[in-house]
Amino acid sequence: MKKGKTNPLVTFAASFGLMAFGLGTPAIADENPPLAALGLPSVPTDNAQTPEKIELGKMLFFDSRIGGDASVSCADCHAQKQGWGFNDSLSRGYPGVIHWRNSQTVINSAYLGKLFWTGSAKSLENQAPSAALGAVSGNGERDMVEARLAFIPEYVTRFNQVFGDEWPKVNNVWRAMAAFERTLIVNDTPFDNYMNGDKTALTDQQVRGLALFEGKANCIECHNGPLMTDQKYYNLGIDRAEEWFDNGMAQVTFRYEQYAKGVTEELYRKVKDDAGLYYRTKMTADMGKFRTAPLRYTAYTAPFMHNGKFFDFEEVVDFYNDGGGDNEFTDGTLASNKTPLLKPLNLTDDEKEDLVSFLDSLSGEELRIEIPQLPSYAPLPAVAN
Amino acid sequence: MKKKTSTIASLSVAIALGATLVSPGNAQEFGPVPKAEVDAAKAALGKRLFFDARLSGDSAISCSTCHNPEKGYADGLPLAKAYPGSDGFRNAPTLINAAQKAAWFHDGRLGTNLNDVTRESITETYSMNMDMRLMQERIKQDPVYVEMFAAAGYGEPSNGSVRKAIPEYLKTLTSRGAPFDAGEMTKAATAGFELFKGKAGCAQCHTGPRFTDDTPHNTAVPENPDIWSDPKRHLTYVTFASFMGIENFMNIRRDVGAHIRTHKVDGTDIGKFMTPSLRELSYTAPYMHNGMMASMEDVVAFYNAGGGDDPNKDARLKPLDLSTREQAELVAFLIALSGDPLTGDEFVWPEKVNVNYTPIEDWLNATN
Repeated sequence: MKKGKTNPLVTFAASFGLMAFGLGTPAIADENPPLAALGLPSVPTDNAQTPEKIELGKMLFFDSRIGGDASVSCADCHAQKQGWGFNDSLSRGYPGVIHWRNSQTVINSAYLGKLFWTGSAKSLENQAPSAALGAVSGNGERDMVEARLAFIPEYVTRFNQVFGDEWPKVNNVWRAMAAFERTLIVNDTPFDNYMNGDKTALTDQQVRGLALFEGKANCIECHNGPLMTDQKYYNLGIDRAEEWFDNGMAQVTFRYEQYAKGVTEELYRKVKDDAGLYYRTKMTADMGKFRTAPLRYTAYTAPFMHNGKFFDFEEVVDFYNDGGGDNEFTDGTLASNKTPLLKPLNLTDDEKEDLVSFLDSLSGEELRIEIPQLPSYAPLPAVAN
Repeated sequence: MKKKTSTIASLSVAIALGATLVSPGNAQEFGPVPKAEVDAAKAALGKRLFFDARLSGDSAISCSTCHNPEKGYADGLPLAKAYPGSDGFRNAPTLINAAQKAAWFHDGRLGTNLNDVTRESITETYSMNMDMRLMQERIKQDPVYVEMFAAAGYGEPSNGSVRKAIPEYLKTLTSRGAPFDAGEMTKAATAGFELFKGKAGCAQCHTGPRFTDDTPHNTAVPENPDIWSDPKRHLTYVTFASFMGIENFMNIRRDVGAHIRTHKVDGTDIGKFMTPSLRELSYTAPYMHNGMMASMEDVVAFYNAGGGDDPNKDARLKPLDLSTREQAELVAFLIALSGDPLTGDEFVWPEKVNVNYTPIEDWLNATN
């Protein structure tokens, strides 16, 4: 409803803008979307938010019976005490493996157009099954998920009430989880308050950091809009994960991902880093590209980057101050894709501290919830046959 | 494709039934189970894989968890264990002589080869729940396997070769040393064999070197109530039943058996299970597809009573009027069909397979 009403206005405004300024002032078209306070996320018209659905989604989010061996839930790699992510470089993954990428926070994921580091899921409803069923994450299976839920009477009742299911349907598991995730919003940070007009919400140092963010440091080139991401893909030249050098289990997963994502044998043999967006497009020009990360809630979500390379803001700022790095997808080994946007910034130590201080203003209070009580299995009533 | 297979299966059932009705027991001669020709290097590799828990999704179980050499390559439980988070709804069958079967699993749903059986057991969500692409990379990480796959002529470790090597190992699990084969049966056992072929009518289905016609029949073995009272077992059956296309799977409380192959509308194929081999029973109690019979005596008493109670029961099952002594002789004969245990280094990987992964040295310069 909201979406249908908003779109024509946006389109109208855009065409008006082009007509008025397009020809004479092309710079307008390149203008980055301004930073702003975060509003409310949009909700898909086919999965409306209801309190009952959100509650069901919360229970399922914490229920390890969705996972293959009933020992891991969403909340194991998206732990609320770890910023709704996982505080190690690479996510823990399913028992018997280690994941190959950093676990991203669920906070504010409702605003993202696509999910995962290379945008491989188009919605939260679409993200949940990839995570719950993938071999190195949940390793669950649809028939088994449905069968387990059918033996939990409280779920049978709740799925019936929320979705009208006679027996819980697995696609409704993902819908309920998505509805719950759309409630995990933090939009009252000092930065939001500042943008909403409370000029005392940021310290002087943070205001200086903001100016650098939009100016000399040019972070805003990619980290723009209310979510502080353009949701586009870049190769920054981040170095490969340490784990691949000395952790046998991580080496296993690394090769599995090449195999599972369908690269050529030639690439499988020689690739030594995560080729990122390439796995989706199979275009050399996309090697090593990952989506610009939102900067919100980052006070709680270290380490940073797709492979958790940096453990604090200072390391991140130093990396950009040096003009980014190099990897096998930038240095010509497999590609030369480093984004030309990155250049040494020549920030002074004070300026770096100002930037870090500004980043601190993007997180607000930690979002914690009470873990729901999970219902038990029960036998089905006897049937004569 | 599936439908075609089912038609062929039904046809062969009909032929087998026709043959046994005319001349019971003559479909195949009794005798020792023929030894298969085995490639030693491939079988050695298969042996290590069989005992390696890294072949299951969370590395908790190996093939040998449910097919334990100390228990005749079964597990001694009425209903088998399953992958963590699920629980079994059938008895783990012995793997001894499994390479000689015409169809596998109690419902005979795989009638192709052990390559497919291996694939099914490793990948099925309630058995080992393994993505075989991940399995391949796990195996490649182990230098011992890299050497063994090369020595077996498979080149680099691959999931395709795993599915060849494990069957090669299973071919080594052939019965040997049974008194029946050695001609060393007791008087009671010899009398039991005559009853087996004659008055008791066992040989109508239990024929050939493995004492099975490799076809499904309904003998009306009672349902195992644990499947329907234990949610973890029942939900595992529901997972299976929904995938197999069983109608009304939430409301049935019985194991339909070979119905999943033939799907007869009138349901007359419900409750048929593959005739099990009678070899190595001394090691593999309890018996039947659902472990409902604890001893050979129980089984003989069951058939003496004419089997169980089911409208679809095979018409050939009738009370046998065997005396106590005759029943004991039949049991003595059955015991004579068990040979030497297939344990020790020849059959069992001598040490526990380490489920950890050694990092590849100089990984950056190594070819993946």
